[in-house]
This record gives sequence, C-alpha cells and structure tokens, in this order.
Amino acid sequence: MILARAVRIAVVVGILGLVVTLALAFRRDPHDIRTGSVNKPAPAFTLERLDGSGRLALADLSGKVVVVNFFASWCLPCIQENPALVRVFERYRGSDVIMVGVDFQESRDTGLAYVRRMGIGWPTVGDDDGRVALSYGVFGPPETFFIGADGIIAGRHIGPIDEPTLVNAIEKLRAQASSR
Amino acid sequence: MSGRVFVAIAIFALAAAVVFAARPHEATSEERIDQITSELRCPVCQGLSVKDSTSETARQMRELVAQRVREGKTDTEIQAEFRAAYGDWIFLSPPLTSWSALVWLVPVAVLGAGLILVAGRLRRVDLPASPEPTASQVAALRERVIREEATEG
Repeated sequence: MILARAVRIAVVVGILGLVVTLALAFRRDPHDIRTGSVNKPAPAFTLERLDGSGRLALADLSGKVVVVNFFASWCLPCIQENPALVRVFERYRGSDVIMVGVDFQESRDTGLAYVRRMGIGWPTVGDDDGRVALSYGVFGPPETFFIGADGIIAGRHIGPIDEPTLVNAIEKLRAQASSR
Repeated sequence: MSGRVFVAIAIFALAAAVVFAARPHEATSEERIDQITSELRCPVCQGLSVKDSTSETARQMRELVAQRVREGKTDTEIQAEFRAAYGDWIFLSPPLTSWSALVWLVPVAVLGAGLILVAGRLRRVDLPASPEPTASQVAALRERVIREEATEG
C-alpha cells in the first residue's frame, strides 16, 4: 500500500519534471545552443587572410571584443545576414570591437570573390582544412561566436543573425570589459 | 578408445583456436581511427557516424582523428577534444557519466515503477483463502450424508 503510494507520487513528480523541462526548453532561443565551446577559452588560431595580406592570429586581438563569423559563398543564409553584419561593422569601426570572417569549406579565390562582391570590410581568413571550425564546434555556416575581452566565448548564434542580436551581444561584452 | 582420444584432441584444438582468435591484441592505427569515427556523430548529417558519412565535414573530422592518432594521442584525449567543441551531443551513444545518462536510466526506472505497481495490484486482487468449516458445519454435513445414505439404502 505504502509502496503503491510512493510509486504514484514518483509518477506525478516524473510528469511534473517532464513538463518543467519541456517548458524551459521551449523558452530557449533555438539559435542560442550552448554546446561545448561556450563559456570556455576561445580556441586559438592563426590563418591566412583571404586577400593575401598575411596571417591573422586571434591572440593578436587579445583584450578586445571579437565577433567571429563563419561564412561561405555557397551559403544562402550567409548572404541573408550580410547586410546586418555590414551595418554593425560600420557602427563599431575603429572601436574595441573586431569582426573576423572565417571562410568555411571553399577555395580562397571563391571566398575572396564573395567578400568583394558583398562589401565585407572586416578581416576574412580561410580555414582550409576546417580545423578552426571543428575546434569551435561549428555545425555549418552561418555561425557567429562572441568572444569577450577575457578571451572566453560568451555566446554563439547558429543561423543567420540580425542587427539587434549582434548589437546586444556586443554591448553586453563591452560592458563586462569596462567593468573589469 | 582411440575414437574418444581423437574427439578430445579435436575439442582441445577447437578451444585453443577460439582462445587464440579471441586473444586481446593491440589495435592498429586504422582500427583505432575506425572505432573512434564510428562513435562520433557527423554534425551535418541525419544520424550518421563520421565513419559512414561522405560529407566534407566528416572527411575533415576523420583527417583530424587520423592526425591525432599519428601524434600518439589516446582515444580518450581525442574524444575529449571533440567533446570540448561540441559537447556530449557529438557522440552517437550518450555517455553514462553526464545528464544524458537519464536517456538510459529513465526508461529503466519507469519500467521498474510499473512492475512494482502491477505487482501491488495483482496482490490486492488475489481471492482470500476459503475459511475452515466450523465444527457445527462439519456435524451438519455429516448428518446430511448419513440421512442421504439411509434414504438411498
């Protein structure tokens, strides 16, 4: 009798737990997936710039807010999000915010042609063997990572990003950096 | 007698062959790469392992695993590298050491709770054992049998 009652209580608790879990899961933004790389130091990289002007190392951007955007010319959502990236780049040009584009799974010539066509003014690099994308846990472009001045990945956005999301994430990191 | 000896030798030889075949041996690099990539989920596929996928991402992941094996990294170290980037999601079978273990444990717990519930119900519906007849009932029955025998006799 006591056992059956305990089982009944366990069933009710289990159902309640399921409802709470589902409610919390549905409230979360599906673009903001907390995979392994979030809240951890950003994996270091040194990659060739697409325009052939040398190499770019993430370590050289230490102390700045860095927005790393994985893109490709064959990726339609990348074309869709590009105007927002361009506006945000212009907004923070010359500030403590640096944007870096990482070309995903394509030749440098194709990537460079896309960069010129789309009016991308921020530094872009080629991830020839995909190692950087794998170290960041990228599923596919477009994906955007927000790295704080402390070098920690504070957030990631999967899929095309809009201007308010970019500005909110950047401002949060700038506020953190100025309060340190 | 010689027949029995022949059968015994044959059984012994068979057992020895099985033991020899099943002996633990050090996996080759290729076997290790196959094993590790068969447990990793291809990030751009639907339920396919990195080993089975033909996508560019899976090819790059296989190359990375092969390089790490050549560098002398252990399987655990290689798996940890992918976990650091993608979390436990990257493994086709959720490990038992994290929250994803609930995927394995919850069905077992629910099954156990169900069995306990069913056992409790079955015990409750069992018919009560029929009570022993009282002395007066036995005496009445005896009298009835004697009466019926006398009537028939």
